[in-house]
Amino acid sequence: MQEEFKKALDFSNYRQTFAIQRKTLKEKIDAKLTYGYNGGIFKIDRELLNFVEMLIYKDRSENVVILDVNENPILVENLVDFREEIFDRYFSATFEYHEEYQKIKKARSVEKLLEV
Amino acid sequence: MDKGIVLFAHNNRQIDYAKMSILTAKLANKNLKVPVSLITDPSTVSWMKESKTFSIAAEVFHKIIITERPEDNNMRNFGDGKSYSAAPFSNGNRFNVWDLTPYKRTLLIDTDFLILSDNLNKYWDVDSDLLISPRYNDIIGEDRTGYLDTHISETGLEMYWATTVMFTKNEYTKTFFDLVDHVKQKYKMFSDVYRFNPIIYRNDIAFSIAKHIMNGYQQIDEYDLPDVFSVTDKDVLYEVENNTLKFLINYKDSNIAASVKDKDVHVMNKFSIIRNYDKLMELAE
Repeated sequence: MQEEFKKALDFSNYRQTFAIQRKTLKEKIDAKLTYGYNGGIFKIDRELLNFVEMLIYKDRSENVVILDVNENPILVENLVDFREEIFDRYFSATFEYHEEYQKIKKARSVEKLLEV
Repeated sequence: MDKGIVLFAHNNRQIDYAKMSILTAKLANKNLKVPVSLITDPSTVSWMKESKTFSIAAEVFHKIIITERPEDNNMRNFGDGKSYSAAPFSNGNRFNVWDLTPYKRTLLIDTDFLILSDNLNKYWDVDSDLLISPRYNDIIGEDRTGYLDTHISETGLEMYWATTVMFTKNEYTKTFFDLVDHVKQKYKMFSDVYRFNPIIYRNDIAFSIAKHIMNGYQQIDEYDLPDVFSVTDKDVLYEVENNTLKFLINYKDSNIAASVKDKDVHVMNKFSIIRNYDKLMELAE
């Protein structure tokens, strides 16, 4: 087994390990950008962030109905609080994504990739 | 109790599911911060007492619920990288979870599903009585995902994965689990209707059919649990180090190294969980 593991660490396998690590990281961040709120599920993306910001800009910040990932209507009583929450989650997830992705990119061996 | 996790463990000659369930419970408890209960049987409890794991289990689990061991004649191959060994597989009593769970809202997970994040916490309050994972998500990706990983047969329904199931105890879910039991009882008949191979009873298939029937024989947009991120039993959990699980992934007859950290993972190679048990337990502290 040790021999097989050593072989898997060979640089010729670098691209394949890189692809798996990148896929896993992307999925981890996607999960962090999924937000359960008031019985619904939201995907925190640019569209949601912009839509919420626009509603607040138009003075629609209380008792607003927003459609979630399944197009179900979800009541958001306080849209300003909701915006704070999704912006916080978005920035913390994307910052983590950037940080972790840089580590993956800079890892120049399979062994280093596994440590990210 | 309002919410909690339930695990089933029925040992066989090859695999100590009870020992695995302690690890799974500790990880779940650490990352989701909800109580975990175990459903098991008298012979498994005897082994736990003999192997001195019962006292640990008594501390880890909120409740240990003893029920009859399902009388399945399921034999299946359990993979460990390139080698396989056949053993009986007792998992035909999952439908009992509705009666046995001590919780109003239950997350049912397999003992080889290692919870390494708090991702599932966001589903407790989702407005749906029954949530199941609708997809298998292989660590490699679609390249290694066969049609029968995503469908119950070549011509059949899309498959739900009963590895993770969340439900609220009410009349609707009672009907669902009764239906799962019914599919199990009439497994051969349903295999003719849904055109799947009935040789081994699979909860995934019974759950998929019950869901299909409950949904009025159609697929509808509804809330689901996240994909079941999985590492197959052809792969090996090689090492656990610095909160990271390192795997040897079998791909096109060669091995690729990969690691998983802070992400829930279904490790199908149970032997390699047991081999790395102590290190995994450290991760759960």
